[in-house]
Amino acid sequence: MKRLLAVALMLATILVQVTWAPRLTIAGVFPNLALVAVIAVTWRSGVRSGMAWACVGGLMLDLTAPGPLGPHAVALLAGAYLTGFWTRNVDSESALHPMLAAAAGTAAYSILLVAADDTLGLPVPPLGVAMQLLVAASVYNAVLMPLALMLVRGHLHASPAARVSSA
Amino acid sequence: MYGRSQSRSTGLFLILCASMLVLAMVSEQSWAAGVRGVAKSALAPLESAMTQVAANVDRVTAGFGDVSALRTENQRLKAADEALRRQIVELNAAAKENATLRQALDFERSFGHRMVAAQVVGRGPDGFSRTLQIDRGTADGVQPGMIVTTGAGLVGRVREAGPHGAIVQTLGDPQSRVNVFLSKSGLQGTVTGGPAALQVEVEHSLGMTAVSGEWALTSGVGGGYPRGLVVGELASITHRPSSTSDQALVAWVNDPAGISLVLVITDFVPS
Repeated sequence: MKRLLAVALMLATILVQVTWAPRLTIAGVFPNLALVAVIAVTWRSGVRSGMAWACVGGLMLDLTAPGPLGPHAVALLAGAYLTGFWTRNVDSESALHPMLAAAAGTAAYSILLVAADDTLGLPVPPLGVAMQLLVAASVYNAVLMPLALMLVRGHLHASPAARVSSA
Repeated sequence: MYGRSQSRSTGLFLILCASMLVLAMVSEQSWAAGVRGVAKSALAPLESAMTQVAANVDRVTAGFGDVSALRTENQRLKAADEALRRQIVELNAAAKENATLRQALDFERSFGHRMVAAQVVGRGPDGFSRTLQIDRGTADGVQPGMIVTTGAGLVGRVREAGPHGAIVQTLGDPQSRVNVFLSKSGLQGTVTGGPAALQVEVEHSLGMTAVSGEWALTSGVGGGYPRGLVVGELASITHRPSSTSDQALVAWVNDPAGISLVLVITDFVPS
């Protein structure tokens, strides 16, 4: 039941991302709600939960994007893994670290997504454009991170010990 | 203990990544295109419903904005009936939709191509691919490669099509390329997508210079698009005397965030 609810929540997040979020475009990018959600879940309840959300959310994103199924899932997995690595090594109560993790996670997501597309022979944007989008998206998602953490706080309760054991 | 848990999560990460890459390679095969199309079409009704909810929210917020403006403008409207105001807002929205549909119909008549009208139900998931999702697919005659327009001008091209939905690569996509000519100078160029605006490389020609305000229309060169579709207006030009081309920004006639209805040209086959 809990898993079904998680899948439904992720589906709702994806639908909001591909229908409402593009209205909030700034500097060519709009919030990547799925990525922010994955990073927030990883931060609160550990890297395993984050990677599970990344797989589900990534496959759903792939259903809304051109190309094969998989690249967005790989990119989200990278974001979750990097965040998990981050949480093990920093003070998790600090407000700044989740934002930095979101920025780094977005950078990892973007690089992996472009690399996966390139590997699969799909068209990729020019390097300059990709870098511009990467930086703008990193800043945007980092700003949204505190809000995302507040939203998941009510749903996910995990002590630092649980997080370590989950990792 | 800590090191073991870290290596376990690293192992899990690598296994999941490998699985997803295998899935990507399998789903990319031509024999899997049908299943992939069906899977992608499955989300279209949900996206359509969500888009409808978003439109209703917009309508309500627009209504609140109107009410607020009217209150400050004229005290007499304080007594206006709420239901009447809601009706006015709804009628305005319906009139706007009617105008869009009429424009599309006029365009179809004058353009002379067969077209299928489609509703935009979603957008691409991130800035790396500027795509639209529409609610028409192969069951309605929509095929990959077909050109997509609105009454105002060119939108892009169908990239993938499922039975009841399709993904359109817009001109705003960083990988998009369209050959154009300019309405006054007749100069040729190539419009490319970008994160914030469309850009065009205008080739130099003896005695001719591109000027702001010129319209860029599809040239038909390369056979990718029919000739004469409006792309946009030159907004600003950077002249480069030492180069063989000038660079300009193009104000796209279609606002990608505001497109709700598109037309798919079904009888033009790109070469």
